[in-house]
Amino acid sequence: MELISEGVDKISILKSREIERKLNLQRKQETKRSGLAENEQLEFFERTFNEKQNFIENLIKKSLSIPKNDLPDHFNTISKEVLLLQKYVAASNLFLRNYFLQKCQNIIQELSARARDLENELMPKKKFGFKKKTKGKESEKTERDVVDGVRLSNGGISSGSNHLEKKSPTIECGFYKRTHEVLSLSGVEIYKKDVSLEKLTNCKIFTGPISTSIFAENCQNCTFVIACQQLRLHSSRNIDIYLHVTSRAIMEDCTEISIAPYNWLYENIDEHFAESGLDRLVNNWRSIDDFNWLNMEKRSPNWREMDQEYRVREWT
Amino acid sequence: MGFLTVLKKMKQKEKEMRILILGLDNAGKTTILKRFNGEPIDTISPTLGFNIKTLEHRGFKLNMWDVGGQKSLRSYWRNYFECTDGLIWVVDSADKRRLEDCMKELNSLLLEERLAGSTLLIFANKQDLPGAYNINQLRDILELDKIKTHHWKIISCSAVTGENLLNGVDWLINDIAARIFTLD
Repeated sequence: MELISEGVDKISILKSREIERKLNLQRKQETKRSGLAENEQLEFFERTFNEKQNFIENLIKKSLSIPKNDLPDHFNTISKEVLLLQKYVAASNLFLRNYFLQKCQNIIQELSARARDLENELMPKKKFGFKKKTKGKESEKTERDVVDGVRLSNGGISSGSNHLEKKSPTIECGFYKRTHEVLSLSGVEIYKKDVSLEKLTNCKIFTGPISTSIFAENCQNCTFVIACQQLRLHSSRNIDIYLHVTSRAIMEDCTEISIAPYNWLYENIDEHFAESGLDRLVNNWRSIDDFNWLNMEKRSPNWREMDQEYRVREWT
Repeated sequence: MGFLTVLKKMKQKEKEMRILILGLDNAGKTTILKRFNGEPIDTISPTLGFNIKTLEHRGFKLNMWDVGGQKSLRSYWRNYFECTDGLIWVVDSADKRRLEDCMKELNSLLLEERLAGSTLLIFANKQDLPGAYNINQLRDILELDKIKTHHWKIISCSAVTGENLLNGVDWLINDIAARIFTLD
């Protein structure tokens, strides 16, 4: 009996071994197959890459026969496709060999270079922009432009002397190139807008509360009565400022600046303060940062608090 | 593929990017950064020096450097160029007078060797303001199509309303990610 039972045991052992062997075989086959899948992935990649490459090449070839108006869009699609292709390569770089990766990238670079050259060739002209000044008298006319009845000439910055063509930009909200004027801005005029004050001489400027920033540049001998979240004052001289600022005022390249607290009162000012979101109780008019004065111990000589007796009490 | 998957995961974990935010003063750099980070924007002062924010976005760790744009600070910009993956150039689309300045500063940045590999995102900010130039106009005025040295894109946005900020940053991250992975 013992013998028989031992035999049964042996048989079951053999059986289980047989099952194990089969399982092993299966496993091996699976790994083999998945190896194939990797290869297939490579092939698949190559196929997709080539398809895409051809597609883009065709697009580039087509650009010669496309009407001018559609060219920008057309080139946009090309550069988008190139970018997509690049992304595809990047995503697949884990299973690509170095050599192959290099090859793909070269192709991509070549494609984008070709598209770029063609773009330069087909759309060389800008409709609007800064243009290099051409010498001669003719340029004299275009160089000057009339804005707000004020002639403005653009003293170019670089040696090439750039200038703005056609629509010479105006200041959206604020004042530009004024002398000896009293000007004011309030209510809807400044609602949710940035205000800029440029090239003002001997002017008095009044503003209601401005929820964002005031940018002032190249002003001289002026009085500003202004309320804002930020004040940025640049390259200005001899300015009296009656200021309400809720965050911070800064100045750069300025001298002879006197500051006093804001004191303009007009009919709807409470409403306007509420609309602007400026806190009437927070006014940092005394703390001005001067970018030309980094010494913490000594006060900047470029600005000072206005003497009490000198301040204007009421504006009429 | 097991090993490769592990490798890939490890790589993705350490995805860290350094992003530099520059532009003229009053363009809205700090406001963009704060709005993106979900901080209040009504107490922002003109930037003296710089702000740094590290934030997690889509599994990336973004080190954002926002450097003040005042004339006297621009010469210090170069101290921040090293290892920059992405550059965000912020334009005040309503500040028409200084666009020429803006173009000049941008062009001189693009000549910088240390910024050579970085992706350039141009934010046409302040689109909420009336009279702001749209991106096509800015593209022409700033002669962006001449930029061939960097991957770039111009996106209109408003830091005040938050419009399009996410789109812009997402594009930047995608572009950087594609490049970094390709070079590996």
